[in-house]
Amino acid sequence: MLTPAGRAWALAAAAACLLPLLPQLPRTLAAGTVAVALATALLSRRGPLPGWLRIVLALALVGTVLVTFRFGVGRDLACAVLAAMLALKPGELAGVRDARSLVGFALFAPFATFLLDQGPLSLLLGLGGACLALAALLQLSADESGDPQPATVPGRLRAVLRLVAIGLPLALAAFWLFPRIQSPLWGVPDRVLAQPGLSDEMAPGQWIDFMSDDRPALRVNFIGEVPDTSQMYWRGPVLMDYDGRTWRRPRWLGRIPAPEVARAPVRWEYRMEVEPTDRRTLVALELPGAIPEGAQAGGDYVLRTAPLTRVTRWHMQASPPRTFEPRLPALVRQAALRLPEGYNPRTLALARQWRAEAGPGNDEAIVRRALAMIRDGFGYTLDTPLPGRHAADEFLFDWKRGFCEHFSSAFVILMRAAGIPARIVTGYVGGYRNPIGDYWVVRRNDAHAWAEVWLAGRGWVRVDPTAAVAPEHIYDTIDDRASGGGLAGLPGITPVLDFGDWLRRGWNDLVLGFDAARQVAILLPIGLERTGVRGLAALFAGAAGLALAWMLWLAARAERSGDPVVRAWRRLGRRYARLGLARAPHEPALQWVERVAAARPGDAGALRALGRRFAQWRYAPAAAEDPRRLARDLRRHRPA
Amino acid sequence: MMAAPLRRRARARLDRWLRGRTPSALPVRFDRHGIYVLPTRFGAFFAVLLTTMGLGALNYNNNPALLLCLVLAGAAVASLLHAQLQLAGLEVRAIGAEPVPAGSTLKLRVHVRAAPGRARRGLRVECAGQAATLSLAEGGGEAVLALPTARRGWFDPGRIRISTTRPLGLARAWAYVWPEAPLLVYPAPEPDGPPLPLGQGEGLQSRLHPAGDDVHHLREWRAGDSRRAVAWKASARRNALLVREFEQPLGTDVVLDWDMLAGQGRESRIRRLARWIDEAERGMRRYRLRLPGQPAIGPGSGQAHRHACLRALALLPGEADAAR
Repeated sequence: MLTPAGRAWALAAAAACLLPLLPQLPRTLAAGTVAVALATALLSRRGPLPGWLRIVLALALVGTVLVTFRFGVGRDLACAVLAAMLALKPGELAGVRDARSLVGFALFAPFATFLLDQGPLSLLLGLGGACLALAALLQLSADESGDPQPATVPGRLRAVLRLVAIGLPLALAAFWLFPRIQSPLWGVPDRVLAQPGLSDEMAPGQWIDFMSDDRPALRVNFIGEVPDTSQMYWRGPVLMDYDGRTWRRPRWLGRIPAPEVARAPVRWEYRMEVEPTDRRTLVALELPGAIPEGAQAGGDYVLRTAPLTRVTRWHMQASPPRTFEPRLPALVRQAALRLPEGYNPRTLALARQWRAEAGPGNDEAIVRRALAMIRDGFGYTLDTPLPGRHAADEFLFDWKRGFCEHFSSAFVILMRAAGIPARIVTGYVGGYRNPIGDYWVVRRNDAHAWAEVWLAGRGWVRVDPTAAVAPEHIYDTIDDRASGGGLAGLPGITPVLDFGDWLRRGWNDLVLGFDAARQVAILLPIGLERTGVRGLAALFAGAAGLALAWMLWLAARAERSGDPVVRAWRRLGRRYARLGLARAPHEPALQWVERVAAARPGDAGALRALGRRFAQWRYAPAAAEDPRRLARDLRRHRPA
Repeated sequence: MMAAPLRRRARARLDRWLRGRTPSALPVRFDRHGIYVLPTRFGAFFAVLLTTMGLGALNYNNNPALLLCLVLAGAAVASLLHAQLQLAGLEVRAIGAEPVPAGSTLKLRVHVRAAPGRARRGLRVECAGQAATLSLAEGGGEAVLALPTARRGWFDPGRIRISTTRPLGLARAWAYVWPEAPLLVYPAPEPDGPPLPLGQGEGLQSRLHPAGDDVHHLREWRAGDSRRAVAWKASARRNALLVREFEQPLGTDVVLDWDMLAGQGRESRIRRLARWIDEAERGMRRYRLRLPGQPAIGPGSGQAHRHACLRALALLPGEADAAR
């Protein structure tokens, strides 16, 4: 029953649906899945695989997945299991029914992809997979009907695109107008394996990976005043706990209430669009003013939200603090002074020496001294060796080179050893202004780590030890590395990239960021703000009705002849059909013309001439006239 | 005055409703009222799949996933329309079959026309448990269904269903046609029986036969004639080759009389007569059929005569009807 063509289409559809999911899986797992899928498809060419082999393969593959994800439960694990199952499904392809279930099952793969990633490439591949799945269904249905006429691949795809195009108005009406759920009924399961990005910890060397990732992290539109780029510090996770190797964010920090803050008179207002990170931390410029809905500020004044699994948009205010937590709670003070025993003896000794020289209470002098030391003798480079046990000692006294991770970490250890409460703040610094669309892009490689020290009377004060490096001592930076390869180095490419990002922003704005709130917002201009969901439902019903009517008209319109002359000739025939002189199906053109001429002598001359020209064009095309003129004349003719 | 068009419209509506429920005269044209569309089992599965996707996408407010789900749903709805349009405008022009003896298969031919322009391929024609595929080319097409027959007489195939699950296999669209024109099934001839009853002659009949006994006449030689048939003496006389033609006396017209077979069951009489008709036809004899309660048919021979006789036999009332 299942023809080779049907089988090939079903397999192609499954492969196309699996394709967008693969880049979202760990690389080894993706390769394994592809290998198993190919093997299954090849082995089952002559018939379904035996049951025991399928079970063995399934167990092996699912086992591999579980091990890769260290037996954690999350949506990336679920997606990997789905991919594995899809890779094995061709092994049981026997009839049309199996092929259909394969195609239906395969459609979950693009869906799963969108739970992990919503980029344009994923969407493009996903929709391509869906179209191929529909084409496979077409082929299977043709097989089932027993129609022997074969169809070409472009023909099938054209038929699918036609179906999709006919259904598109309905789909779009539902997309924009179908009432959305205000808050989720159930939460999104987390991922097991973290994506690179700002996290709640900082370990040596870990940052290099995502500092070469130039995907956008934020897009920001300032309303009114724009801060200076060098002062754009986007505060993210605050790290206080240090174990000699890794800096971590203490959990309790998010649970204690936001501290007392006195703000400087400067105020910036901006709209921020955050690319999905799967994290709960929402970075914000300086200190956020009003806390936006859906976020809470913790003891470090960093905003926490539900996991940012999709593009979210926030309306924020920011101002630099004049005083930030001037009364330091004992708990925080302890955490901001704690150092692990038995690490970095040289650093501790230096700090104690500085404290002795500065005397008690003169914290600012110590901070200045540290910055001066960095300015005089330190260099910036991404090319650093892996640290040993005493990371700060090695950095401060041996290499004297590193990047933000090293600078901030050593600086905070130095401060704490000198008795100054200090902590690391991670986030982004700066941004790039896209002249197209006039907004700021903060990329992932703008990630940065700096420090905050607590000074009496002022509270937490931002200190960026990396920025203290003298410009002539900056050696190997991200920009140097980026210009070595990739597109960014090409001359004249910048406007293209800018335009690309602007398109992406529009896509985020119109499609990805569309939610219940925005949906209600589109009702405002048409005066439906009061009716809310009911108005939306009515609007949806209306639009869906219109779309259905359009579908009916489009589908019911008989497929027209591709030739304009034939089309014009048929239309002419319809004009006479309205007068009761329809051409019978078996009637030759000229015979019909004669019949009409006899019935309507008034039209006889013109119609005879047209009929002759049409017959000439149809049956002796070599000698015939320009078809465009004939089509035009045919269109113009009206029964008198 | 107003009542007439209203009544006509009501009448038309009733006719449409009745189509498929009662036999109707051909040609029958399917319009959208008479076409039913329901999801197939795969269609139901697909609907569940899309609902799951849609709920998930709405819950997570995941717009690409929602878009995917809606595009698929839009294509599915469009496929329902397409399925219906495959049948809309289809006209069943003729349904017929050559009569066959009971017990063999009747080749039911369903002839269909439609305006060209829309591809209508792989339609399924079903009747009495049998199915065939119908594909229209150039606006016309024919499906041939092999229907088993059991009894002589009028054969009502019942409703014929024309259906399609194309384009996506998500829904089946179907329409019924119940042709008024009945089909005839001839009685099955008796397999082994006595030979043709000869000799109750009514007028002599003879036939030219090369192996006959009596010389009938002479004619000119034609290529292929046997040399033994040449009448040498006569040829010498006429100075041209002449050939003798013989004739076989064929006795008389055969009379197939119902009453001759008294003492047998009604159906077995009919079957024997049917066999004799076929034998007489094969032996190229003229024959006359006498049945109770109707004028004799014939004498005659040839296909038309045979059909007339078999038809009369096929339509003889059955045992139960005859007793009444």
